[in-house]
Amino acid sequence: MLKINQLGKAYGDFRALRSVTLEARSGEVFGLLGANGAGKTTLLRTLATLLSPTSGSASVNGFDIVRQSRQVRANIGLVSGGMGLHDRLTGRETLRYFASLYGLSGARTEERIETLTRQLDLSDLLDIRAGGFSTGMKQKIVVARALIHDPPVLLLDEAASGLDVLARRTLLDLVAALRSQERLIVYSTHVMSEVEELCDRLAVISGGEVLKVGTVNELVQDSGERNLERAFFQLLSEQKAAGQAVTRG
Amino acid sequence: MASVWTVAKQELLTTLRDRRTLTSTILVPLIMIPLFTVGLPLLFGTLFGGQAQTRQTVGVVGTLPPALRSQLTHDSEEEKGVRLIAVTDPTAAVRNEAVDAALKVQSALPSQAGTSGELQLFYKVGNLKAESGAASKVRSAVAAYNKALVGKKLAELNLSPALLTPIALSTVDASNAAEASSGQLAFIIPLFLLQFILAGATATATDSTAGERERGTLEALLATPAPRSTLLMGKLLATTLTALIAAGFSVLGLSLSAPIALLITPAGQSTAQSATQQAFGGSLALGLGGLGAVLITAASAALLISAVLLTLSLFARSVKEAQTYIAPLTLLIILPATLLQFADFLKTTAVLYAAPLIGSMLVILDTVKGALSGPHLLLSLGGNVLLAAVLTLIASRLFGREGVAFKK
Repeated sequence: MLKINQLGKAYGDFRALRSVTLEARSGEVFGLLGANGAGKTTLLRTLATLLSPTSGSASVNGFDIVRQSRQVRANIGLVSGGMGLHDRLTGRETLRYFASLYGLSGARTEERIETLTRQLDLSDLLDIRAGGFSTGMKQKIVVARALIHDPPVLLLDEAASGLDVLARRTLLDLVAALRSQERLIVYSTHVMSEVEELCDRLAVISGGEVLKVGTVNELVQDSGERNLERAFFQLLSEQKAAGQAVTRG
Repeated sequence: MASVWTVAKQELLTTLRDRRTLTSTILVPLIMIPLFTVGLPLLFGTLFGGQAQTRQTVGVVGTLPPALRSQLTHDSEEEKGVRLIAVTDPTAAVRNEAVDAALKVQSALPSQAGTSGELQLFYKVGNLKAESGAASKVRSAVAAYNKALVGKKLAELNLSPALLTPIALSTVDASNAAEASSGQLAFIIPLFLLQFILAGATATATDSTAGERERGTLEALLATPAPRSTLLMGKLLATTLTALIAAGFSVLGLSLSAPIALLITPAGQSTAQSATQQAFGGSLALGLGGLGAVLITAASAALLISAVLLTLSLFARSVKEAQTYIAPLTLLIILPATLLQFADFLKTTAVLYAAPLIGSMLVILDTVKGALSGPHLLLSLGGNVLLAAVLTLIASRLFGREGVAFKK
């Protein structure tokens, strides 16, 4: 479903992604855990074809992110923490607009809106302009917008950041509800509890490189630490020590 | 093409749901143009005409011949005479506004032709009210008095008054009907049209680019399979259509000016009102061909202005920043449009007509004056469309940048 092979992204001398190699399959929620600036957003934006890689390759649902960018975009839904809505459009108008851009027919659009309304409990939001939405209501429509074309891959980039406690809970419940055998959800966050609650497997990412991939239990066990947070910091310490050794060498 | 229209339709919907944009696009041109082309002339006409019907006070130092006093104070159908009062210091009387003007007899004034006297007129030179009121009436009265004395003397000598004017020069207006009705201040019309196009397009251009980036909707838009060129064309189409709506209402406002003027100006209006209104082009009447030429010119200008606005807005990270970039554009319209009032002195070459926007202003002015030529219209359209195409290419490059969707 998602294959990333030695993917790199550089801005001049700054390497935002360093030879990232990963695989994730449909039916799982795959976490990307890292501090701010670790490279999670760059990785997801590159997979969403909003950024071009400077080295390596990646494919989404069998489509190459460079050569087949349109097909890749047709196969993903993207939600990021900073995403908003058009204040003067209702929830239904937003969904219809994006359905049209994804090439859905009128009948298919209404069918998807109905499905998403049931799945995400949107009935109260469809005919109100987004300007009157609370943060949680907005986030529901943002997620619905990313799912309007029923993509096999959903990329969530710090989607819960900035949300209040109620809206965050709504989002986490939504992600849990969206699990299906046919879909891969990539969930990027710096919050350990979100990973522990949602993710089947995760990659710890720091300084643009993947430090470790596995389940939460595997990561904790391999580190010999008590919990994910301690395991995470141990991985970061090891990376820092290795970097210092290379510098000294 | 369907996606271009999808994007344009959504942009238009959000624009039309914004009351402020609706006001600047529809209401303002519809109200402002008739107001400036009819209302202001009427207001000025009323003010100037009002001076004729007002009895001003004129101070006098010295003795005026009875016939001159009578000439000054006489009421006619067109205007009232002045009231004369004695003053000692004419300058002080004018300055402290005890009188509207003052007369000082420097040397005894003649009551018959043959000798000469000197009369000084005191008023605030440059003050329109004094100029068009008391000073104007005094000049007319003195001229009439002089003419009467000279006429009487010539009659006594059995000579014809025609002796003083061997050649009588009269003026015949050789301008065509459109030129005659367009007025000396017709340059205001292209200024208004282009200004309203700019104002109408600005909200859509900034909201659909910098606004989308600011509220985080551009990232979602760019993550759809729709090509960026399609999205940009949709935004350009929406911006141009909004500008055209503004242009349409401007032209409507313009074409309403003449009927409104006829409706609210009675047939026997004063000459002052009529002259002032004429100067502003208030009695402007465009034929169907003229309206068509103005509309097509406005459309090409709308396309160009939209391309400029979109390109500038793509550099901005917020609507506010975009508005800062756009603000100086107003000068690009106001300065050349203001220079158009001296268009009679300009040698309007083909190059000038091909100059983007400036050519449009000239074509609109020519149309208003009924002097438009086909090649000039084509040149102005070509200049606008060519520059719009170049700017669209630049905007396309900017919109294709990696960072275009992100705030940082």
